[in-house]
Amino acid sequence: MTNNGKMQSVTLRVLRYNPEVDQKQHFQEFQVEYTADTTILDALHQIKAEQDGSLTFRRSCRHAICGSCAMNVNGKNILVCKTPLRTQLDRKNRVTIRPLPFLPVIKDLVVDRSAFWEEYQRVRPWLIAPPEAPEKEFRMTPEEVEALHNAETCIMCGACYSSCQVVALNKKYIGPHALLKAFMRVMDPRDTEPGERLDEVSGSDGVFRCHTIFNCIDACPKGLNPTEAIETLRKLVQKRQAFVAARQERQKTLLPVESSTAPAAAD
Amino acid sequence: MSDTNTIVHDVIVVGAGLAGTWAAKIAAEQGVRDVAVLSKIHPLRSHSGAAQGGIAAALGNVRPVPDSGPRGPLEQLPDGATPVDNWELHMFDTIKGSDWLGDQDAIEIMVKEAIDIVYEYEHMGCVFSRTRDGRIAQRRFGGHSAPRANFAADWTGHVLLHTIHEQALRHGVKFYSEWYCMDLIVEDNICRGVVAMEIQTGKIYTMRARAVMFGTGGYGRAYKITSNAYANTGDGVAIAYQAGVPLMDMEFVQFHPTGLYKHGILMSEACRGEGGYLLNANNERFMERYAPDKMELAPRDLVSRSEQTEIDQGRGVEADGQGIYLDLRHLGREKILKRLPQVRELAIDFVGVDPIDALVPIQPTAHYSMGGIPTDADGQVIYDAEGTPVTGFFAAGECACVSVHGANRLGTNSLLEASVFGRRAGYAIARFLESGASLQSVSGDPAEKQRQRVQRLMAGNGKSSESVEKISQELKTTMTNQAGIFRDGERLIQASGTIHRLRERFANARVMDRSSCFNTDVLSALETEHLLSFSELIVAGALERKESRGAHFRTDYPKRDDENWLKHTLAYQTPDGPRLAYKAVNIDWEKYPPQERKY
Ligand SMILES: Cc1cc2nc3c(=O)[nH]c(=O)nc-3n(C[C@H](O)[C@H](O)[C@H](O)COP(=O)(O)OP(=O)(O)OC[C@H]3O[C@@H](n4cnc5c(N)ncnc54)[C@H](O)[C@@H]3O)c2cc1C
Ligand code: FES
Repeated sequence: MTNNGKMQSVTLRVLRYNPEVDQKQHFQEFQVEYTADTTILDALHQIKAEQDGSLTFRRSCRHAICGSCAMNVNGKNILVCKTPLRTQLDRKNRVTIRPLPFLPVIKDLVVDRSAFWEEYQRVRPWLIAPPEAPEKEFRMTPEEVEALHNAETCIMCGACYSSCQVVALNKKYIGPHALLKAFMRVMDPRDTEPGERLDEVSGSDGVFRCHTIFNCIDACPKGLNPTEAIETLRKLVQKRQAFVAARQERQKTLLPVESSTAPAAAD
Repeated sequence: MSDTNTIVHDVIVVGAGLAGTWAAKIAAEQGVRDVAVLSKIHPLRSHSGAAQGGIAAALGNVRPVPDSGPRGPLEQLPDGATPVDNWELHMFDTIKGSDWLGDQDAIEIMVKEAIDIVYEYEHMGCVFSRTRDGRIAQRRFGGHSAPRANFAADWTGHVLLHTIHEQALRHGVKFYSEWYCMDLIVEDNICRGVVAMEIQTGKIYTMRARAVMFGTGGYGRAYKITSNAYANTGDGVAIAYQAGVPLMDMEFVQFHPTGLYKHGILMSEACRGEGGYLLNANNERFMERYAPDKMELAPRDLVSRSEQTEIDQGRGVEADGQGIYLDLRHLGREKILKRLPQVRELAIDFVGVDPIDALVPIQPTAHYSMGGIPTDADGQVIYDAEGTPVTGFFAAGECACVSVHGANRLGTNSLLEASVFGRRAGYAIARFLESGASLQSVSGDPAEKQRQRVQRLMAGNGKSSESVEKISQELKTTMTNQAGIFRDGERLIQASGTIHRLRERFANARVMDRSSCFNTDVLSALETEHLLSFSELIVAGALERKESRGAHFRTDYPKRDDENWLKHTLAYQTPDGPRLAYKAVNIDWEKYPPQERKY
């Protein structure tokens, strides 16, 4: 089943827009041939190579790790590089592809993610570590690392952001992707400013804006759960003082006594 | 001189992967106020983020369980026990992996700084997997004699890239996201800036700087089956070459043994590091015949050749016999979910197979470019065998050739290389500016030449309007079939002729999209032109090098020949095509003289 070479044909309906010629977006239909292996990205490439070189979309890694290729397919935000075409056919043997919703369109399937990146920067995505770095690593338990997995593997594709009702209505909302990043920093035992971060996300554009509609969870192609992270942040906002105190306590043990005196691993 | 078509910065870094971002962050941290980074895709989409398995450094945090054999389980190093690893071992493994073509002075710097840079990543927020006692976890990797791949599950590159990008933002580095570098401005061996296109508007600018650095990544896209992202079209190497900079050791291209069958998408070497097997159609662990000691964990060049031999001798799997099986089933569900979650999903998504209970079809895939822009250990680009600098021009990472990987790179050494030499380039650039380097004048209007290049692509030349994509596909097929894992003189000569014809055809090719805004049709055409440009050098270097070393294997010269070929290739552009010259390898003849390479 890995290489079902049988060719079949399907109609791709693509929502197109070229600011230099089009007044507004319009659908264009393309016929493409596909096999069991063909991804939606492959099909878009096929159109671009053989039918219409002006069809415009972003892509790079082609295996769901760079976050370039999030689009709206049959009404759902997905990564087209990892999605086999055969799984997306509607009853009329068609696949409908639109750019990510709620974001300004630059051209065809390419959207303007500026607001998305601004929110990302607004939460100060970088770790603010203790000023004194140890000679070796800070010690973290495997459980503490595991707790960050939900946020760490976010590829910033924007699928959640552009499916979020709150983002659609309120451009100032920080958004699920950036709140997930904030969660990651708040939860990291090495971060020294969890209190300030909690303050930053607890304003009117932050965690309490989330209506827990769960669109972000449905949309996330990496199976992450921004809503849960947002809920955790909400709880921590309520317990800010105790949480900050616990962090200060924890940071005393980031560095076991013996390791600061032991010789370096090599040298 | 400053007008609306000219942009000026102190430092311009092209490339926002690990190498470029490290350099930018360090330069900014060192007090250079105006550091700009250009990337043709958003910085966080850079290919470094796709790296899975790990970054090498002899931290000595784990060791094999005593008496459990070379492939037995690992445990955290007990308190007070002596580490099984150190930088000298790492150095030897790297030299041997390189088939003695790596420069040993550069390798020494890399393996020593490895330890410190992994800790620096950790201090900056990188979330590594951990041992029970909270240290950075390590696993085995091919060609490394100790477990020294430091990892974050199997998304190591992703966390490293995000971490360094965040820190660069913190230090005020300015990012030009989705800007495409088209040309490097070098006059009198002094670099003065670049020409770049703002992709969203199609506007082309001259960008002047006191120092320019390239961290533009690899060139694996010249091959049909490849693990590389669409972005890895070797723009940087081609642009440098066009600007008169030589390229070094271009013939050395690494093929990774485990690309997903037909797709080429990588199943990390961590699969074998964690204990996976390779099986042929007869269900044999065929590596027994090729590397009885290291088995599946022999270095990549050797494993890929072994696979290809099995395939060529009729023991391949799948309908066309072009596959091999990767068997992870015995690792068990828990280990696969914990250590290899991403590769499991890739197998499910792309070949419809869950490695927990089925065999994964794989095949060798073009993976890594050992060759590139020659530099010294501070990222300073050099012009010749004597080390003459191209003033103001720096490079690091996969686009550069320091050379630490020589004829074959060991897994996990390239995230390391990009980081260590990116960081060193950052310091070197700061020192260069500190020493008074000033903005140099630019003669003429270099941007205009690039505007004409784009116009030519849009207009065609009236004679024909051949599709660029077809040329690109033919090139990739040629490179895979005639300049791939196994090479010989006859096929290389054919490849050379084909590339020559493809370049002629390219001169008449035309794109379909004529708009200025976000014209990816034009970008692919420029990228194809770059592929054609450096592919010629891969073939020329391979044809000339009449020996087999590391990833370069000539069936008509199957032996390594130190007497004649223990040297680096330098390729220079001339009006009559590439001219090849050679450069000595830095070798410590007392400590690490060339030996037979056996695993
Ligand atoms: C699938 C895969 C897995 C890997 N796994 C590992 C691993 O586990 N361990 C390991 O050590 N190595 C691994 N490698 C290799 C390693 O990832 C790369 O060698 C390394 O990340 C290269 O980093 P870099 O900074 O040099 O370039 P890249 O990360 O490739 O970045 C290149 C940058 O240059 C920019 N750029 C290129 N051309 C232009 C242009 N014309 N104009 C503007 N910008 C441009 C790009 O936008 C990008 O920002 C892997 C490679 C692959 C393909
Ligand atoms: S192309 Fe990278 S996520 Fe799809």
